[in-house]
Amino acid sequence: MKERERKSLYFVYPLTVFILLILLFPFFVMVSTALKPVSEVYANPPHWIPREWRWANFSDIWGKYPLGAYFKNSFIISLGTTFLNMVLCIPAAYAVARLRFRAKSFIMYLFLVVQMFSPIIVVISLFKIVALLGLLDTLLSLVLTNSVFTLTFAIWLLSGYFRGIPKEIEEAALIDGCSRLQSVVRVLLPVAMPGVVTTVIYTFISAWNEFMFALTFITSMDKRPLTLGLYNFIGRWTVQWQYLMAAAILALIPVVILFMFIERELVQGLAGGAVKG
Amino acid sequence: MTKGKFWRTESTVAYLFMIPASVFLLMFMFYPIVYVILMSFFRVNKLGDLVSFFGWGNFRFMFDKPEFWQVVVRSCVWTAIAVAVKTAFGLVIALLLNVEFVGKRLARTLLIIPWASSVPISAMIWQWTYNSDFGLLNHTLRSLGVWRNPPIWLAEPRSAFMANLWVDIWCGIPFMALVFLAGLQAIPQELYEAAEVDGATPWSKFRFVTLPLLSGVLTVATLLSTLWTFNDFNVIYVLTAGGPGTSTDILITYIYKYAFQYLRFGPAAAMAVITFGILLIVSIVYARSYFREGAL
Repeated sequence: MKERERKSLYFVYPLTVFILLILLFPFFVMVSTALKPVSEVYANPPHWIPREWRWANFSDIWGKYPLGAYFKNSFIISLGTTFLNMVLCIPAAYAVARLRFRAKSFIMYLFLVVQMFSPIIVVISLFKIVALLGLLDTLLSLVLTNSVFTLTFAIWLLSGYFRGIPKEIEEAALIDGCSRLQSVVRVLLPVAMPGVVTTVIYTFISAWNEFMFALTFITSMDKRPLTLGLYNFIGRWTVQWQYLMAAAILALIPVVILFMFIERELVQGLAGGAVKG
Repeated sequence: MTKGKFWRTESTVAYLFMIPASVFLLMFMFYPIVYVILMSFFRVNKLGDLVSFFGWGNFRFMFDKPEFWQVVVRSCVWTAIAVAVKTAFGLVIALLLNVEFVGKRLARTLLIIPWASSVPISAMIWQWTYNSDFGLLNHTLRSLGVWRNPPIWLAEPRSAFMANLWVDIWCGIPFMALVFLAGLQAIPQELYEAAEVDGATPWSKFRFVTLPLLSGVLTVATLLSTLWTFNDFNVIYVLTAGGPGTSTDILITYIYKYAFQYLRFGPAAAMAVITFGILLIVSIVYARSYFREGAL
């Protein structure tokens, strides 16, 4: 039996490596292009690995494009979305996890369904609403709309964590004379910190990666978040691909690292009982 | 008594706690949905204001267009192919990573990157990779002798559709693989040992132990993937924006085009309502199978 397992590695290894090569190929292209000088970017046939490594691409982009502003906008939008989202989602998740009230299971069901709607369905009327509120071309419009589409899943994710924490801890706090609010803030939240962090990261990443609302609501150059800003690199006559790729690396690194921390929770939250065994 | 204190005010507290989130969702999710439904039955001007009642006019306008039906069919083909390939690929990868080997953790981490990456940015990277003169994809295919005359990917309708489809698949594979892997790891090892005692071949172990026990995960994951694939706006918009013409549009991008390029909000709203109906049905099926797996 052991022998067969060892033998099976003869095709497991090559196949895994082959699949990973295919899946990671565009990232290889990204890094390779980001390091090329212009002459090599537009070389035919192209080189896999740059002959001359031009690290200066990474410093050039800051002066050539308003990349600093893009980063700042993305940060403001993502932090704002995360903050608003947490303020709304912590009490709701607590209610769903801890309290018994009528229509609870219906609300949970509704959240799960709503979470799957495409923002495209409502963007037409959201556009009207955003315009009415005088929020077109503001970062606040993106904070609001992003929160709408992260909120339901955030409530799901967080209430799962709350449910996993024994009620007795809070009951003890209530006996000791805490109000309910105090028991949530001082007792439950510290214990549920991993869940809170997961939800925060999830919201932050979703807002950081959002593209469609930004495309619709933002018109001025200096209010663009990263995704839209980078997209507008392409809209010009000659695309400076080496700069776009260098900027893409900088934009991707933080989210990819953050994502690694929450990937397991996301899988579990989305597939539910099916993967809990 | 203390127990009483904890439970007494429960409903009131619960509703109080739910108010902020509910009000927010009502304003920015449910009201917009209602408004879109309203719009679909009205003549709407270029600013998105309701002008006059139009009945089924907007719907009829779309139904009379052959292009609309092409887009509908394309959306179905798009979703069917992408989900099938993602599922197959995901299953193979999950089975590979379920084997113990040195470097497995690294492989798993690397596998996540396409999912972790921002979809619009990934699509931009792919756009450059697909470039027929300077992109590395065609160069690599040619040099390895895999494909002597690869197409100019994003220029022709058929190859552009394939190119879009592949990027969507590529984005979706890691999630499928990870869910299936989690599902595989939940299968008790004893079942395989028992099957082996009964002299089961690797194939029959897969067919009669793995597949049946994975069916719950398979259902939930494919439904989820169906929803995401059907909703994929970013990939198509960034890569081809539905072009050339409307040859790579799916419903989601077509709606956006009608609303924000043609400024025909009425027909766009009508299509949004149809899409809403489709999504509602699939997500209810998803929610059902989610709960059936005993999440709560």
